[in-house]
Amino acid sequence: MNRIRIIKDRIAEGLTWLSSGISALVLIAIFVFIFKRGWSTLNWDLLKNNYNSENLMAGYDHIDWDEHGAFAAPDTLPENAFFSEKYGVAFVDSVSAAKESQMEVVFLDPESPLQDGKITTAGPRQGDKLGLEEGLYLKKISYINLEGDKKSAGLTATQGKTSEELVSVLDNDSQEVVDFYAQTEGGGLKGSIITTLLLIGLTLIIALPIGVFAAIYLHELAPKNKLTAWIRSSIELLSGVPSVIFGLMGMTMLFQVTRLMGITGQSTMLGALTLAVILLPVIIRQTEEALINVPDGYRMASLSMGATQFQTIYKIIIPNAMPGILSATLLSISRIIGESAALIFTMGTAIMDNPAWNTRGTSLAVHIWTVMSGEQPNFELASAISIVILIIVLILNVSVKYLTYRMTRDKDDQKKKNTKVKVKATTET
Amino acid sequence: MKNLKKILVLVLALVMMISVVTACGGDKKDEKEEKETKEEVKKEEKTEKETEKETEKETEKETEKKTEKETEKETEVEVEETEAEAPAGEMTGQINVYTRDAASGTREGFESVVGFKDQLTDNANEVSSNGDMATKVGEDAQGIGYVSLTTDFEANNLQPADYEGVEPSVETVIDGSYLLSRPFCYTTRAEGDYESDELEQLVKAFIVFLTESTEGKEAVLSAGGIVDVEDSTPWDELKADHPIVDQDNSGLTITTGGSTSVEKSLNAALEAFQPLAGNFDKVVNQTGSGDGWKRTLGDDKDGPNASDIGFASRNFKDEEPTEDAMSADKYCDDAIVVVIEKNNPVTNFTQENLFDIFTGAVTNWEDIAK
Repeated sequence: MNRIRIIKDRIAEGLTWLSSGISALVLIAIFVFIFKRGWSTLNWDLLKNNYNSENLMAGYDHIDWDEHGAFAAPDTLPENAFFSEKYGVAFVDSVSAAKESQMEVVFLDPESPLQDGKITTAGPRQGDKLGLEEGLYLKKISYINLEGDKKSAGLTATQGKTSEELVSVLDNDSQEVVDFYAQTEGGGLKGSIITTLLLIGLTLIIALPIGVFAAIYLHELAPKNKLTAWIRSSIELLSGVPSVIFGLMGMTMLFQVTRLMGITGQSTMLGALTLAVILLPVIIRQTEEALINVPDGYRMASLSMGATQFQTIYKIIIPNAMPGILSATLLSISRIIGESAALIFTMGTAIMDNPAWNTRGTSLAVHIWTVMSGEQPNFELASAISIVILIIVLILNVSVKYLTYRMTRDKDDQKKKNTKVKVKATTET
Repeated sequence: MKNLKKILVLVLALVMMISVVTACGGDKKDEKEEKETKEEVKKEEKTEKETEKETEKETEKETEKKTEKETEKETEVEVEETEAEAPAGEMTGQINVYTRDAASGTREGFESVVGFKDQLTDNANEVSSNGDMATKVGEDAQGIGYVSLTTDFEANNLQPADYEGVEPSVETVIDGSYLLSRPFCYTTRAEGDYESDELEQLVKAFIVFLTESTEGKEAVLSAGGIVDVEDSTPWDELKADHPIVDQDNSGLTITTGGSTSVEKSLNAALEAFQPLAGNFDKVVNQTGSGDGWKRTLGDDKDGPNASDIGFASRNFKDEEPTEDAMSADKYCDDAIVVVIEKNNPVTNFTQENLFDIFTGAVTNWEDIAK
C-alpha cells in the first residue's frame, strides 16, 4: 500500500466520522431544544387531565345570608392567596399550560355559605349540591351589591380579574352571592394520547394484513412479468405523493366508506383508513425486503418435503420474515405518530376527551398543530407534547425490538437444539 | 478499531445524557452557556479520538475544520451583538418585512386597510401563523410585521406601534379612532338544515347569547375579542325566548368551523354558555377563514366536516352569500397591530408609511417619512 492510498482511506474514514458526528449533534440539539422548552410544562396532571374543562354553575337562591359571620384565614394558606373574610374562601392567581389566566379556589371554610350551592344547569344533575370547592377554577361570581343591584366579578367579567381585586369587591361591595361559574382543570392530553394509540391500533389492523399479503403475492406468487413490475413501481410511486393529497382523497372517497359504517362526520376510522393507504407502500416495500432475505433453500426444502405453496408461505416464509415485518410495523408507527396534514382533513382539529373509533379526535401531532395555529403560539406546550410523543415512540420501539429479539432467540435456541440432536445422532451412529 | 467505535458510541451517549440533564435543570444556565459547554464536550470527544488515532495530518485537518467552524460561529455571534446594540435614538439599516400567508384573514384585513392589494414587495418574508409572525419579528431587530391585538407582545419581545398616532387598545377600536381593525364574523346553516330541530333552537339561542347578552360579550371580551359590553342585555332577560336552554342538552353537539383566529373568543363564549344551556357538547373544529362559509352553506355543508356555525376573521366575500343563513353578522372586532422589535425607536406609522414599506418603495429605516 502506498502513501496516497493510506491518505485517501483516512479521508474516507474521516468523512464517516464527521457525518456520524453531525447527525449525533443534530439529534442532541433537538433533544436539548425540546427538553429545555417542554420539561417544565410536563407533569402528571397534564397527561391525565381532560382537555375540555367541565363548566359548572351553581346558585345560592335558597340561602339565608344573615346567619353567617366573619371567617378567619387558616394558617396553611399559601402566601400568594387572597382570603375573603366575609365568605371564608381563598383564591390564587395562576397561568395554565395553555397560557391563560386562572383563578384557583385554594380554600373554602367548611362553615362557609358558599358550600351550599345548587347546580342550576338543566340536566340530570340540576339541584345537586355543589359548593365553590377547592380545586375549582372560578371564572365568574355574581353578587348583590350594597345598593341591591346584581353585579358580577371574575375573569370573564369586567371587574375582579385578579384574586386581590375579586376578594376586595366581595368583602367591600357585596351583600350576598347569587351564583358562580367555575371550571374544572382542563388543557390535558388524555384524549389526544388515547386517540393516538387508537389510531395506531386501527391503522395497523387495516394496513398490516393488506400490506403483508400484497407483498407475499408480489414476491412469492406473482409471475415475473411486466404487469408485476408495473404494479410494484406504481406502489413505490405512491410513497412519493404528499400526505395532504391523501387527506383530500380520504375526505371525499373514503368518507363514503365510513358513511356505510354509520359515521356522519370526520372520525378516527376515516383517519385510520387514510393513513392505511399512506402506509401501504412502506409496509409492502419492507415486507418484500424481508421476504427476499428468507433463503431460497427454505422454500425448496419445504416444497420438496411435500408441503403445498401456502403451507410453505404460512409455516416457513412468514415466520422467517417476521423480524422484517415487525420493523415495517415500527416504521409505520413512527409515520402514524408524525402525520398531521392528512389527519386535519379526516379527523378534524377539535380536541376530544372521550374519543372512540367513530368520533372525531386529534392525534398528538394534530394537537401540536392546534396549539401552534392559534393567535398565541405555545412552544412550551408543543415541546411538552413532543416529549410525550418521544416517550410513546420509545416505548413502542423497545417493545417491538424486544419482540423481534424474543423471536430470533427462540429460533436460535431451536437451531442449537437441532444441531445438538444432530451431533448426538452422528456420534451415536 | 472495534474499541475505538465503542468508545465513540459511549462518548456520544454521554454527551446526550449530559445535554438532556442540563436541559432539564435548564433555568440556571442560559442557552449560550449551554452551547459552550456542549462545544467543550465535543472538543474533549474529538481530542480523545485524535489521540487514539495518532495521525498528525488528520489532527491538523480536523483542527483546521474546527477553527473554521468556530470563527464562523464567532462572527455570527458578533453580528447578533452589533444588531442588538444599535443606537436607541435613530433606527438605521434595511427593513425586513414580514407578512402572513395568502390564506390569512389578518393579511387580508391588513392589506385592505392599508390598500396595497397585490403590490406586496417581493422581499417580504412569509410566515405561517400569527404566532410565527410574533416570534420572527420579536427576534429580528430590523423587522416589521402585523399581528392581532390578542397577541402577547411582552412574551414575544415585541412592541405594538401606533397607527396614525392612535394607540391600539379595546377603547380606541370600539370608539372607531383606531382604524386598523378587522371584524370576526359568523354565519349559521340555513333554517331547517340542521341535524335536529332542537339543535337549530340551541344554535339560535347561542347566537343571541354571543351577540346580545352581557355574559356572552363579557366572555368574548375576556378572551381578547373587542365588543362593547355596555350595549348588552343580561341573559336572564333574553333566555325567556329560548326555552331550549332549560332542558338537558347533553345529547346535542354544536359544531363550529372556519377561522382559527376566533378560536379563543369562541371557546370562551361556548364554555360560558354550556352551564347556562343544559351542558350541550361543543366541537370547535377550526381550520381557516376560507372554510367558515364552505362548511355551513357552501360545497362542504354535507361533507364530513360540516359545521353548524362557520366563522371568518374578515367580512364574508361576495362569492360567499349568507342570505340563506339563519343568522349571519359580526360578533366582535379584532385590531390588527403593526409590531416591531422591542427596542425599535420608530413607534408610529401612518397609512402612507405602511404602504411604502410593504410595497417596497421604502427599504431602509432612516428613509421612513416622518
